[in-house]
Amino acid sequence: MLSRVGERIFWLARYLERVESTARLINVHTALLMDLPEHREMNWFSLITIFDGRQAYFENYDRVNEYDVMHFLLADTNYSGSLVNALLSLRENARTSLDVLPESLWEQINELHLLVKGELSTIGNRRRRQKLLLTITERCQCIWGIIANHMSRNSAYDFLLVGKHLERADMTSRILEMTAMLVADSKSDNSKQYQSLLWATLLRALSAQQMYIQEHSSSIKAGTVLSFLITDQRFPRSLCFSINALGKYLGYLPRGEAIIERQAKILSTVENYDAEQYPADSIRLLMDELQVSLNDLTSEIVKNWFYPDYSAA
Amino acid sequence: MKDMWRDYDPEGFFDELMYSQHQPRSFSYKLLDYLQGMEQEAFRQRVNESEMEMLERGITFTVYSDAGNIDRAWPFDIIPRAIPKSEWQRTEKGLNQRIRALNQFIQDIYNEAAIIKDGIIPEDVVYKSKGYRPQCQGMTPPHGVWANICGSDLVRDQDGTMYVLEDNLRVPSGVSYMLENRKTTKRVFPELFRLLNISPVDVYPERLSQMLSSLRPDVSSPRIALLTPGVFNSAYYEHAFLAQQAGLILLEGSDLLVGADDYVYMKTIYGLERVDVIYRRIDDDFIDPEAFRPDSILGVPGIMRSWRAGKVAIANAPGCGVADDKVIYAYVPEMIRYYLNETPVIDNVPTWLCGDPEQLEHVLAHLPELVVKPANESGGYGMLVGPHASEEKVNEFRKLLVENPTNYIAQPTLNLSVSPTSCGDTIAPRHVDLRPFILSGNSVYVTPGGLTRVALVEGSLVVNSSQGGGSKDTWIVDDSPFAEAE
Repeated sequence: MLSRVGERIFWLARYLERVESTARLINVHTALLMDLPEHREMNWFSLITIFDGRQAYFENYDRVNEYDVMHFLLADTNYSGSLVNALLSLRENARTSLDVLPESLWEQINELHLLVKGELSTIGNRRRRQKLLLTITERCQCIWGIIANHMSRNSAYDFLLVGKHLERADMTSRILEMTAMLVADSKSDNSKQYQSLLWATLLRALSAQQMYIQEHSSSIKAGTVLSFLITDQRFPRSLCFSINALGKYLGYLPRGEAIIERQAKILSTVENYDAEQYPADSIRLLMDELQVSLNDLTSEIVKNWFYPDYSAA
Repeated sequence: MKDMWRDYDPEGFFDELMYSQHQPRSFSYKLLDYLQGMEQEAFRQRVNESEMEMLERGITFTVYSDAGNIDRAWPFDIIPRAIPKSEWQRTEKGLNQRIRALNQFIQDIYNEAAIIKDGIIPEDVVYKSKGYRPQCQGMTPPHGVWANICGSDLVRDQDGTMYVLEDNLRVPSGVSYMLENRKTTKRVFPELFRLLNISPVDVYPERLSQMLSSLRPDVSSPRIALLTPGVFNSAYYEHAFLAQQAGLILLEGSDLLVGADDYVYMKTIYGLERVDVIYRRIDDDFIDPEAFRPDSILGVPGIMRSWRAGKVAIANAPGCGVADDKVIYAYVPEMIRYYLNETPVIDNVPTWLCGDPEQLEHVLAHLPELVVKPANESGGYGMLVGPHASEEKVNEFRKLLVENPTNYIAQPTLNLSVSPTSCGDTIAPRHVDLRPFILSGNSVYVTPGGLTRVALVEGSLVVNSSQGGGSKDTWIVDDSPFAEAE
C-alpha cells in the first residue's frame, strides 16, 4: 500500500469518527441544556471548550448564544474544526483513495455530503438540527458498517481502524475533561442537584448509558461512571478499549515496533488510573496528558509510515 | 409520453433511431415503443432518478475555467443510442484494422522510417509534428505496440456513412462514462434489458488489466499502476474509477522514484516496491522532467531511462502522440494500404491538407463552409466551424492559414447524425458522435459501442464535455433474425 494512500485512509477514518461524535455530542448537549434552568449562554460555550475553539470563536463572534455556537461548530467553513469542514475532508480523502475502498463507501460518503450541504441552512431551527444530526450519526454508522462487512482485513483496513480508535480516544478524553470541569464548577447547592444529570449526559454523549446500566444498575455515581469510561475493558468507547484496539491494529502493520511500545505506555497509564479514588477535577490533568501523548503518537505514525526517509534506497 | 414525441422531427439529418419522422428503425422499434408508451410523468421520474444517481455516485468532470469549483456533474441523457450489431461488426473490424496500421506506423517512424523512404508520407510531416519525440528513436515497446489505449471518434454524415473523425492516441478519456452510463441505464430502465439483446460493456476493466499485464511477458504477475496528474485533473474521477475497477494502484508522480538500478519504485508503507507497468494519464511533456519539460512536477525523473532499458512498460508508450496529429491523420488510409495491404474498412472524413498549395487554395476559397483544425489540439479548442463562425473569425483563420499552412487541415462541415434526446418537456433531435475504445497489447479488443457524446444545445455540433456536451448509453443491439431476448 502506498504511503500516501495510507495517510489519506488514516485521516478519512479520523474525520468519519469526528463527524459522528460531533453530531452525537451536540445533540446530547442540547438535550442537557433543556433540563438546566440557568446559565444557558455559558453552557453553550462548554461545547466550544471541548473542541479547543475559544480563540477561533472570538475572532468571528462576539456573543455566545445557541445560534452562533451552532453555526460555528457545524457550518463555519472558516473554522477548521467545524463539522462541515470535517465532512469535506472526509469526502476529499475518500475521493482520493477510491482504488482501495469499497465502491459503496464512496457513494455513501458523497450522499452524506450532499445531504448535509442541502440541510445546513436549517440548523438555526432546533428541531430540524436535531433531526439532521441524528441522520448524520446514522449515516456514519452505515459507513462503518460497509467497512466492517465489505473490506478485506488488509493494511487499508488497519489504517482505518487505527485512525478510528485514535480519534475516538481523543474525543472521549475531551468530553470527559469537559464534564469534569462542569462538575467542579457547580459547587453551589443549587447546581449540585444537577451533577447526576451531568454524569448521565456524559454517558449519553458517548452512547454508553445503556451498557453502563446493564453493568452497574441505574444508579449513576461519579466514580463508577468515570471508571466505566476510562478503564472498562469491554465497552468499545472506553479509553482503555480504544487504546487497546489501537495497539491491536498497529500490530498488523509493518515496522511498527517503536510505535507499539509508545502505545503500550499510554495504555498502562490509563489502565492504572483509579477513577474511583480520584476527585473529578484531577481528571483534567490526566486527560490533558493523554491528549498530548495521542498527538505525539500521531506524529510518530505519520513519520514512520507516511513520510519515511527513502534516501537510503 | 406520446405528447413529448409529437413534434419530433430530425429535419433531414440522419437519425440514429428513426427511419423517418415517426418511423423507428428496425432495431430500435422496441425501444421507442417502450419509451413512447410511458406516461409523461413516469418518464420524468426516470430522468430525475438518473440525475440523482449520477450526483450521488459523484460522477463528475472538471472544467478548468470554473475557478474554485473542482467538479461538475456530467450531463447524462437517458434515451440510449442504439446501433445494430450487423453494422457494428464491420465498424469493429475497421477499428481493429486502423489501430494495427497506426501502431506499425509509429514503430516504423521510430525505427526504419520505411514509409518516409518510400515516399508515402513526407518527412517534414512526421518530424515536425508536435507529438514526435526524438528520445524514442530506436525503441521497440512490447509486441511492437505503442498506442495501447486508443479512443477513435466516429461520426455519421447525412447519408448515415460512418467516418473516423480523429484518433486519440495520447491519453484518451471517457471510458468510465461509458461504464457508468450503462450502470445508470440498468438501474433506471431495467425492463428494457429484457426486451432487447444488448452487448455488455462491463468487461472493459478486466480487458484493460489483461492488456497491461501483457506488456510485461517477462514478469509472472506484474505490478500495475495508473499514474494520474492528481485530483485537480479534469479526468481524475475516471482515473480513480479505472484503478478501482481494474485493480490498478492509483498513484501520482511523487509516489514514485527511479532507483540507481533504473527500476521504478513506489513509496509504500513497507518501504520501496518495484512497479512493472504504468498506465499513465499524463502527457509525454510532463512524464519525465529529465527527458522532457524540466519544470514538470507531475512526472518521475528518470522514468524514460527505465522505459528505454525495458525495466518498466509505459502505456501509451512515450512518443505515440505523433500519430495523434491531425495532419498525419490524413495519411491513415495510406498507412492501412502500405502496412497491411488492405482496403480501409472505415473511411476518414474527406480532408484537405493546407500544407499543399493547391489544396490550400481550395480551402481558402471555401472557408465559410469548412471546418478547420490545428494539427495538434484536442477538446475542440482552436478550431473554426465555418458555417457557425462570424466573418471576423473566418478572416482570422484566413490569416492563420496563410501564415502557417502546414499546421492546419480542413474538412467539410458534416451534417452529423442526430438521436432523440430528452430536452425539458420534449424529446428533440440532438447531434451525436461515438468514441469506441480500442485496447492493444498481445491482442486487440474493441469496446462494443463506446461513449456516445451528444451536443445538448439545439443545432450545436460540439459534443465536448468542456463545451456543453453530454453523453448517452450506447447499445449494440442484436438485430439478427433469431435474436429475441428471453
